[in-house]
Amino acid sequence: MNYSYYLKNILFAYNKKKVLQIRELFLPKETSLGIFGPNGSGKSTFLKLLAFLLFPEQGEIFFFGERARDVCSLRKEVTLLEQTPYLLKRSVFENIAYPLQVRKEKNIEARVLEAMELVALEPKKFGQRKWFELSGGEAQRVALASRIVCKPRVLLLDEPTSNLDGENTFLIRRALTSLQEKEKMTIVVVSHDWDWLSAFSSQIYKFPLEIK
Amino acid sequence: MDYLLEGLKKAFYLLYSLDAETYSAIWTSFKVSTGSILASLLLGLPLGFGLGYYSFPGQRVCKVLVETLLSFPTVVIGLLVYAFLSRQGPLGEWGLLFSTSAIIIGQTLLGLPIVIAFTATGIENLDKRLKSTLLTLGANPRQVLLTTLWEARFSLLTAAAMAYGRIISEVGISMLVGGNIKWYTRTITTAIALETNKGKFEMGIALGLVLLVIALLVNLVLAFFRRRAHEL
Ligand SMILES: Nc1ncnc2c1ncn2[C@@H]1O[C@H](COP(=O)(O)OP(=O)(O)OP(=O)(O)O)[C@@H](O)[C@H]1O
Ligand SMILES: [Mg+2]
Repeated sequence: MNYSYYLKNILFAYNKKKVLQIRELFLPKETSLGIFGPNGSGKSTFLKLLAFLLFPEQGEIFFFGERARDVCSLRKEVTLLEQTPYLLKRSVFENIAYPLQVRKEKNIEARVLEAMELVALEPKKFGQRKWFELSGGEAQRVALASRIVCKPRVLLLDEPTSNLDGENTFLIRRALTSLQEKEKMTIVVVSHDWDWLSAFSSQIYKFPLEIK
Repeated sequence: MDYLLEGLKKAFYLLYSLDAETYSAIWTSFKVSTGSILASLLLGLPLGFGLGYYSFPGQRVCKVLVETLLSFPTVVIGLLVYAFLSRQGPLGEWGLLFSTSAIIIGQTLLGLPIVIAFTATGIENLDKRLKSTLLTLGANPRQVLLTTLWEARFSLLTAAAMAYGRIISEVGISMLVGGNIKWYTRTITTAIALETNKGKFEMGIALGLVLLVIALLVNLVLAFFRRRAHEL
């Protein structure tokens, strides 16, 4: 078993409008994958299926060799950063600590600080800021930090750098790469930035998927 | 006019001299309304969450029903509770009629629809992305419930303040099922009604002032939370 996901005969539709149809697809594990494609080609929908937030009308998803059943515990191993992320109505620190708290983990403070450094947010400056006291790019990095802080087995990122300036776009790529290597994570990123994506991913999937 | 001023003067004296009878009514009101608001919140928050968070068949009907109950007259609630708790009533053997527990039951029925309706609306108005965010951050159903309520906290506090305002100022329920027993079930509102009838104006005025202060505080709190809820 050297794949993270195996999708078999998947059909997904929003109110009868077919969006994704996949005969068979294996996603490699413990590597960085990219997804590229035009607006409306089903990229975000695909990530939501992988995150077990949406469920296919037909077909099956296997997660590290096992048929996906108990989605509640699977969602503790996969986490998704949505395209327009939502911050909880609490401080930056508490936003990032939340996934650790729900998992009843220890060392919360140190891990939050570590995650904040990774996304280049100064803990002193931003830790106690309220959710509405952030710029678009800062909010996006807070949301990203709250996804990487729990070091999930699979990390799904939907356009994580869409609001970031050039420097931060570069920093985030470096941080994600080092995280992937250190933690043996599987990271899937949707992006419209082809250069960023080709520098980051070991393999890029072009949407709409042409899979017979 | 002199008569009113005299009443006001005596009223302040009653409050200032810590008149036992006056403070007994205030204490009873405080005790009973605290019990009622807590019970309303304990039952109403989860029910309101269910109504606002999930979609299920009959949801519309439930909402209309709850909203109708918002304008239920307090005397009718009193009458209903009386009917159930009176000796011949289905719950007569509990022996609760004319006790503070009976008032709490009635006032809880008064506060419950307010808490449910405003909680449901508050939850419905939350950002649609909250649900998927919590799921993908790994929250279990209980954690989703608690965090969602916390996200709606300003709406919920508004609901609580509204419910408390109605509970503390109602007279129909306390009178009917409490029985206005001195030192025991006599509350601020029933005392005002009785003492005024008896011509003991000053006590009515004293208690009326206390009630006004409470109402003012509740409204200040309400305005504050409303503004916060809108800002966010
Ligand atoms: N909740 C929804 N209800 C109905 N249709 C939807 C819904 N979400 C997306 N769609 C439709 O499904 C298709 C795929 O949407 P999706 O969001 O997956 O596209 P995308 O590849 O992520 O696009 P973008 O690059 O703009 O983010 C689109 O045609 C869109 O209109
Ligand atoms: Mg998208």
